[in-house]
Amino acid sequence: MRRSIQLAVILAALAPAAQAEDFMWAVNTDPQTMDPHAVNSTPVLGFLNNVYEGLVRRGKDMTVEPALATSWEPIGEGEGWRFILREGVTFHDGAEFTAEDVLFSYQRASDEASDTRSWFAPVSEVVVVDDYTVDFMTTAPNPIFPGSIANWMIMDSGWAEVNDATLPDKENGNYATLNTNGTGAFKVTAREPGLRTVLEPFEGWWGEVEHNITRAELTPIQNPATALAALLSGDVDFINPVPIQDVARLKENPDVEVIQGIEARVIMLGFPHEADTLKYSSETTDANPFADVRVRQAVAHAINVPAILQTIMRGNAEAVSQLVSAAMQGYVPELEARPAYDQDRARELLAEAGYPDGFSFGLKCPNNRYLNDEAVCQAITGMLAQVGLNATLDAMPVQNYWPELRADNYDMFLLGWSPGTFDAEHPIRFLAATPNEELRVGSWNFGGYSNARVDELLPLIQSEIDPVARQAMIDETAKILQDEMAYVPMYVQPLVWGIRNNIELTQRPDDFFILRWVTVN
Amino acid sequence: MSDFPIPSAPKSRYRRAVESDLFYTFKRSPVAMVSAAVVLILVLAAVFAPLIAPTNPFDPSSLNLMNGFTPPMAPNAFTGDTFLLGTDDQGRDVFSTILYGMRISLFVGVAAVFLAMVLGITLGLISGYVGGWTETIIMRTADVQLTFPSILVAMLIFGIAKGVTPVEYRDQMAIWVLILAIGLSDWVQFARVVRGATLVEKNKEYVQAARLIGRTPGAIMLRHILPNVLSPVLVIATISLALAIIAEATLSFLGVGAPPTQPSLGTLIRIGQGFLFSGEWWILLFPAVTLLALALSVNLLGDWLRDALNPRLR
Amino acid sequence: MLAYIIRRIGQSALVLLIVGLVAFSMFRFVGDPIDNMLGQERTAEDIDRLRAQLGLDQPFVVQYFKFLEGAVQGNFGVSYRQGRPVAEILLERAPATLELAAVSGILAILFGIALGVFTAIRRDGVLANFIMSASLIGVSLPTFLIGILLIYLFSVELGWLPSFGRGETVDLGGWSTGFLTESGLKALILPSITLGLYQMTLIMRLVRSEMLEVLRQDYIRFARARGLRDRAVNFRHALKNTMVPVITVIGLQLGAIIAFAIITETVFQWPGVGLLFINAIQFVDIPVMAAYLMLISVMFVGINLLVDILYFFIDPRLRADRSGGH
Repeated sequence: MRRSIQLAVILAALAPAAQAEDFMWAVNTDPQTMDPHAVNSTPVLGFLNNVYEGLVRRGKDMTVEPALATSWEPIGEGEGWRFILREGVTFHDGAEFTAEDVLFSYQRASDEASDTRSWFAPVSEVVVVDDYTVDFMTTAPNPIFPGSIANWMIMDSGWAEVNDATLPDKENGNYATLNTNGTGAFKVTAREPGLRTVLEPFEGWWGEVEHNITRAELTPIQNPATALAALLSGDVDFINPVPIQDVARLKENPDVEVIQGIEARVIMLGFPHEADTLKYSSETTDANPFADVRVRQAVAHAINVPAILQTIMRGNAEAVSQLVSAAMQGYVPELEARPAYDQDRARELLAEAGYPDGFSFGLKCPNNRYLNDEAVCQAITGMLAQVGLNATLDAMPVQNYWPELRADNYDMFLLGWSPGTFDAEHPIRFLAATPNEELRVGSWNFGGYSNARVDELLPLIQSEIDPVARQAMIDETAKILQDEMAYVPMYVQPLVWGIRNNIELTQRPDDFFILRWVTVN
Repeated sequence: MSDFPIPSAPKSRYRRAVESDLFYTFKRSPVAMVSAAVVLILVLAAVFAPLIAPTNPFDPSSLNLMNGFTPPMAPNAFTGDTFLLGTDDQGRDVFSTILYGMRISLFVGVAAVFLAMVLGITLGLISGYVGGWTETIIMRTADVQLTFPSILVAMLIFGIAKGVTPVEYRDQMAIWVLILAIGLSDWVQFARVVRGATLVEKNKEYVQAARLIGRTPGAIMLRHILPNVLSPVLVIATISLALAIIAEATLSFLGVGAPPTQPSLGTLIRIGQGFLFSGEWWILLFPAVTLLALALSVNLLGDWLRDALNPRLR
Repeated sequence: MLAYIIRRIGQSALVLLIVGLVAFSMFRFVGDPIDNMLGQERTAEDIDRLRAQLGLDQPFVVQYFKFLEGAVQGNFGVSYRQGRPVAEILLERAPATLELAAVSGILAILFGIALGVFTAIRRDGVLANFIMSASLIGVSLPTFLIGILLIYLFSVELGWLPSFGRGETVDLGGWSTGFLTESGLKALILPSITLGLYQMTLIMRLVRSEMLEVLRQDYIRFARARGLRDRAVNFRHALKNTMVPVITVIGLQLGAIIAFAIITETVFQWPGVGLLFINAIQFVDIPVMAAYLMLISVMFVGINLLVDILYFFIDPRLRADRSGGH
């Protein structure tokens, strides 16, 4: 009797080793839905990339590679794109993948109820040529179209109809909010929102299996210290993100590894270009100094970006001079230099603009959106104060932050921008174009920056097929934005993942965690 | 002012204090004496923070970011500056931030307890003395609030107050809102004790007599009843002070505390816990130890006071 | 008497309505749920459309009455964040919080009473005095810090206990329990200590002072004079008589345990309703916040009502007093 108990204890102790391919991972934000068309956000799309697939996908180096389409080519002189679909692909429930599903997913993803419909703004029509050929007709030539739909995922039309989920429902949810049926390498076997989501490999996947995972479980852990403790104690195999201050310590720990990369997100300061007066100044109540380019330049010179990177970012971020990082398509190497940290120059510029003694104003900042955002804003407050720009810092959770920006309640604000298309056109469209509902541009241009030449260049950039001519126009736009200091770009936020040392994986710059690249040793 | 006969004091206040029972038990309790000393030192340090602290951590223009994360008593790798207790992520001197932070914690604590006390005593006196519907409403509210958890009450009040405050005052308002939130969630105990004592006192002969000679209810409550309930109020106030300081820290963790540009001890601990694993232990340890010393001493004092003022337990 | 109870129920209902109204007036200051529901590439038009769909463009009083209308029919709306009925989510999360609260409560009561009796009997003992002072350390640090320090010590440094979550749970007819698995029980230890520490200190101090009070009563002295053994006196007579106030306080503290669970659950990523509420604040999930606050209010007002009615039966002297008359 006692012997058998001992045996049981020994077996129990051995048990975890036998299932070493169990993979536990923790993130700070649970994907809020399993519907690939309902919400366009990194936690959702990143997770669902393991379950659903698009016509194309991005590889380890972000290049566009075939997925459900085996090849694609432009139609005529830029009238659209033809995709040849992969044959013999099945969904998790066994249904066959055909052009019907592509058309259905297009209709679903471009519907008003979908958060992803802006991806299809250039599309005029989708034509099913045969079971394995689909044409996407565009209103204007669109050279970057295949890449821009890399996160558009294909759903089975039959499954959606049977389960009454033909459209995403953000408000009340539907079957697709909790259940999945993709073609991807993993299928969801259990989903408890906010607690855990369990994935298992899909036996019928068309691709070549690189991973050795038999079961993977995702758990959200919000408190950064708790997540780190979970990694250190071996309760989880992977956490994202690792608090930046813990990177150095983790690197010394033999049990864990830190994987770092440069994220696509550029952190910048924004200004109220359109405002007539400052809102939070105690003395400058009849003017808006930030409308003067010299004041904006003074701000750029007053901020010691290297110091921020050295201390708050612990040497894990890179300075940036444009709205996109060097890893993005369309980055302009000639404009690489940031305005130097030069307090005297800043004071000079302020004096030239008519503010020799500086002025006071209000700086708005989120405190739970970007890495160490609050600490960065505090540091900025101090640096600006040293040249006479006395900011009152108001840091708040992001759920309060966007409404404040929309209501123009700021004199200066912090913003992070990650181009979903990995192309320089993206921030121009959202941040630099004059806000225009009809053209669907400038929707994040809170300050109302407006430049006629930029507005003129944007549609030309969007439809130019010749890469050299396109780059020339992007160069011109980037130069204008830098000269006018429309925003003050500061640094590119790092990606910091933590893994146990028996894990091998690949980190992609868009912060998507691709499970099929994971090996457990 | 008073036409009511007060027996003239034959001894000076000081002599009376020294010879009192309270002082006697105080002298015999080493725990009480040590606690009192700790509280006194911390309060003095907080009050005279601008004179003691080597830097003013609330002045952003005086900070050098490159001083960030300097360990205690060791020169910074870039600037060569040395700090007694090191610096935090902003390059602020931890010793100075603790002194200034304690000022805020103590101010919030004392002001919140004061608010709770004034509110509690007033409502307790009124409901005990007046009775009727007034009493029902006051005590019903008190009952509900007593069962309703104080941090939720404080979060509700914080939410509403922050919302109705004009945007340009929000930064300065945070501390007042904290005081309001903690104070309003803490008055019930005072009200209950005062009401109970008032019910007992109001039927005693001297109160009846005062009423007969035409003294107003307000005067009777303040002059005759209030002095008799002061000892339990003092005990509750002491313990509430410790609770209020901890409550401020807890609210800070939930993101509704003092702003990081003017941190309280609680905010410092909230910031410091992010550096628990990163090796910068001093950013968490020193504020936490200070908070512990402060709250523990106040609690121990309250404990001693309760026993000392309760003659039956002696 | 029936009239008294009916009046009290009426008062409780009124309190609930007011709490709800206050809560709804607060929601618009918590933030805007829209940004969390729409992605980066949304337009101003999308924002307006969704806001109208959710009824957020209406005054909060209207939103409140809509909520009440649904709540009366048992419909608490659909979570903005999860797209599922709120009632379903709350039911799913409740076992975690209730089990944690129960274990912390029991720990607090057991240790609180044991230490309280000990410190009362050995009033002047060195150990008793040490326990009295040391117990204050637990209430002189904020709960979140205690939790993080426990994780640091027992999960990271020693590796004895899990750092987060509930471990494995077993589903018993819709009730997920952590009591039946080893990992579930292990996962309970740190959070329940964190949560129960404050209440334990409170109960211990209450038991001690009540015991001291009772021990000096005449009948105890008589019992001793009659030659009853100390143990019999202490436990059969003294402790029994301290139980009434202790039970009252425990009843009232039940609410505090559930409320402080918010912090403990956040630190330990404990999947209960407290964590749900914190997440709901983060994502401005108004239906979840509203339902949680109403649920908590119903519970507290209910406990309060129950305590009152019990008092009414137990202690007739309180009747005149409690009913609000002179």
